[in-house]
Amino acid sequence: MDPKMDGGFLQPGETLEDNYDTLKALLPEEVLGIMDQLLCHEMAWHTGNPLSQTLFTSVYIDKILWPEPKTLEQAQFYRGEVSDSRRPDLLLEVLRAYCLALIKCCDFVIAKVTSRDYFEEEDFCTHTYNRVLFVQVPIDVFLRELDVAVESLQDPDLSISADLCEAIITRLEFRKHFLTALDLDCPLEHLDRYWPPISSHLSSINSTYHLGKPVPGSFSTKIQRRLASTVPPRPIVELDFKDAFSKLQQLCLDCEEGTRFTHLSPDPLEYQSFLWAFASRTPTPLPYARSYLANILFHPNTLNTSTTLPLTDLQCLIFTCSPVLDPQNWALSPPLNPLLPKPLRHQLALIIDEFIERTGQNYLELWTALGQNRSRLRRMLNHVILGWDQLQVDANTLDEEIMAVVKEMQVQEQVLVYPLTTWVYHKKLWMIEKIVMLGFEQDIYLPDEFAGMYGFLERVARRRVDLLSNIYAHYEEQEKQYLRAKPPKLEMAAEVEGAARYIESLLAEATGVCELSGALFRFYTVLLYLRLLPTPNRPFSTPELRYELRMKPFLTLSPPEVPPFEEHHEQLHGFGPYDNPEPSLLLALQNPISELWKGIEDGIKRAKDSFSQLKKLGPKAAKVEGVDKAWGKEVQGALASCIALGVAVVGIKTAVKECDENGKVAVKVEIPEMGSGKRYAEGWVVGKVVKE
Amino acid sequence: MGDKDANISADELQYVQYQDDKEELYLPAIRQLISKDLSEPYSIYVYRYFLYQWGELCYMALDANNTLIGVVVCKLEPHRSGTFRGYIAMLAVQEAHRGKGIATKLVCMAIDAMAARDADEIVLETEVTNTASLKLYERLGFLRSKRLHRYYLNGNTAFRLVLYLKPGTATKKPHGDLNGNVGEEQGIREAHPTLDGTHVP
Repeated sequence: MDPKMDGGFLQPGETLEDNYDTLKALLPEEVLGIMDQLLCHEMAWHTGNPLSQTLFTSVYIDKILWPEPKTLEQAQFYRGEVSDSRRPDLLLEVLRAYCLALIKCCDFVIAKVTSRDYFEEEDFCTHTYNRVLFVQVPIDVFLRELDVAVESLQDPDLSISADLCEAIITRLEFRKHFLTALDLDCPLEHLDRYWPPISSHLSSINSTYHLGKPVPGSFSTKIQRRLASTVPPRPIVELDFKDAFSKLQQLCLDCEEGTRFTHLSPDPLEYQSFLWAFASRTPTPLPYARSYLANILFHPNTLNTSTTLPLTDLQCLIFTCSPVLDPQNWALSPPLNPLLPKPLRHQLALIIDEFIERTGQNYLELWTALGQNRSRLRRMLNHVILGWDQLQVDANTLDEEIMAVVKEMQVQEQVLVYPLTTWVYHKKLWMIEKIVMLGFEQDIYLPDEFAGMYGFLERVARRRVDLLSNIYAHYEEQEKQYLRAKPPKLEMAAEVEGAARYIESLLAEATGVCELSGALFRFYTVLLYLRLLPTPNRPFSTPELRYELRMKPFLTLSPPEVPPFEEHHEQLHGFGPYDNPEPSLLLALQNPISELWKGIEDGIKRAKDSFSQLKKLGPKAAKVEGVDKAWGKEVQGALASCIALGVAVVGIKTAVKECDENGKVAVKVEIPEMGSGKRYAEGWVVGKVVKE
Repeated sequence: MGDKDANISADELQYVQYQDDKEELYLPAIRQLISKDLSEPYSIYVYRYFLYQWGELCYMALDANNTLIGVVVCKLEPHRSGTFRGYIAMLAVQEAHRGKGIATKLVCMAIDAMAARDADEIVLETEVTNTASLKLYERLGFLRSKRLHRYYLNGNTAFRLVLYLKPGTATKKPHGDLNGNVGEEQGIREAHPTLDGTHVP
């Protein structure tokens, strides 16, 4: 007999079943207390714990659900016949109405979560242990039960103190609105109506919590023995009211935020910004809120736009006012004689159709990844990127065809070289940057890896800068052409100008990332030379093997983004080995205007300028109008990180001036931990220099 | 266990490989030692799963009275990614003996044993808050490769730690599957004890 393994194991004197009486009359404060206890368990479930250790530990819930009631009438705190004297009184009926609606809430939540990608146990536990949560019963029935309960409490002859009565009514009203908002059939266009009424009840629930009296006996681990499992009962998950309440608040806020998606202009780039900002919210949105947003995103109304979403994206980045996407291309038909060549414009339409068809899956994969919990987002991007890498190969083939056609049409100067490849490659580089930044955000890298990883980030961002510079030059040239035309094509020039603003914004952002990561790479290299970062001796590993492990997600990418180890090693060891640096290092460090320091400080300045430029161009240019506040905060965080790095550089410069003859400095560097609020942006880890 | 005993250093202990024919002698002690630190219930079968197949990758630290002070349990098998992957499943040291490098020594022996058997890599999971355990493995050369949200039954998040032993491990492909394998993210989880107490200096 093993109490950890054996479900039937009883401690001396322990009974198998509970003897809590669910028909015993309750005091109003006890009803209130139980309602709030149930709310705590509900939120504990929302944060990922199984029903068996949360709501299903309630004896009242258990009685309602088991044995399975055939009708809602049977779903009582008893089964079969009871004598009149034992019939549940008014307060028990009120509690029953609350429990019924609560159970239906769970049913809606499970249905919504399971309708999209989620990971059982990791995100959420949907297991109901053969209990049927009134799947077939329509919502109106529960709303009516709640209404009846509220009315019965409004009876003037009732001898319950007014504040207790009011507190119970508030909870019933809350449950009504919450259930309504969770309803799966809420029309997309009215989603934003459902959450504000809930919020209006939350504060009074919080302020009357103290009136309740918990009834611990009405919750039991023993019920688990009957929940179709042989493992022994696991402890009840205790989430205290304060935490549960803040989770509930957060859930409502996040869902309300999610409804703002329905107001976005139908632009995949706005969508992408919204998804990124939502995934970046702190505290991180609960699984239900993520599913809620995913359901809006993948709703047919969102996806079925007149122009497919990837095409809109492509048009914006590469093909604004381009002959390749001229609507007339789609108006042509193939010649009746299949032996004749197809019209050139028609050929372009076919190529683009093929490409867009091909991108659909990759696009959805990216969006699905953006809807996952943050840890999984990073891991999933590692896989999504492989699909985009394959897409780039296909894009390259189609680009050859496009180039041949536009050459024949003699419009090649109006089309960017390798347009589709450029588009895919840009997305791919953006993802690599995010993967590395998420690595920093999630404390994946150890301090002595910072230099190498920021160096890699700089390299990737530099490629994106180059790519965007090409597109920008192309759009500028296009604009000029339209203005020079006789008569000038003003409308088209304006349209291209608008697209160029977006590219300019991307360029400012990519340059900022590139310059700041470059400066951090150089800064952390200095710290490695000064032996200011903890460096384990790692008897079982080599730098080559660790580099291979770090670069694993990117090793197969083509074009190759991963430099050979030798190059990487050289980049990190500009002054020879860390334990035996060249003498020129100390000279460079002690000279405040040396190339070494200038490189870092100029980089910080360029980063600051770029992020300021990005801010100045504003949310419209960046296509983040739906999340302008969050975006503004992100840009501000990057700017603040530049400033923090500037301060740290000064700290080190001062310290090396005062170092001893061995080059030993009297400072230490503190690495701000993730989520500690000490980083200005979670992905920009800037060490703080403090006197020892 | 008196305080006097707790003063013996890591070197005064005897480090021995587990042997199948000594199951009766050692298994109860191993179970007792590990289950003390575990939040998850492990049946006898979990221990036997590891010890029957990879007993030679289990090392024990014993004191002069043959009392079990520490233990490490591992496995080594082809992974679906195509690598020959070692896995450190359980590691525990008696509380009174922590901080003396016993766990480090046991892990080193296990790594050596797996390397000698041609392992490409060694992986394990540990709670993100278990600083002592993270330090132990990171000092030896492990890197954090992933964060695993709510990995443990108690809802805690884990880091996956990885140590490559051979070059070319990252680009290995599963046999007969030229397209690579992306099954890793589909939610398959290994047995994973929560070890709270591998304190090391």
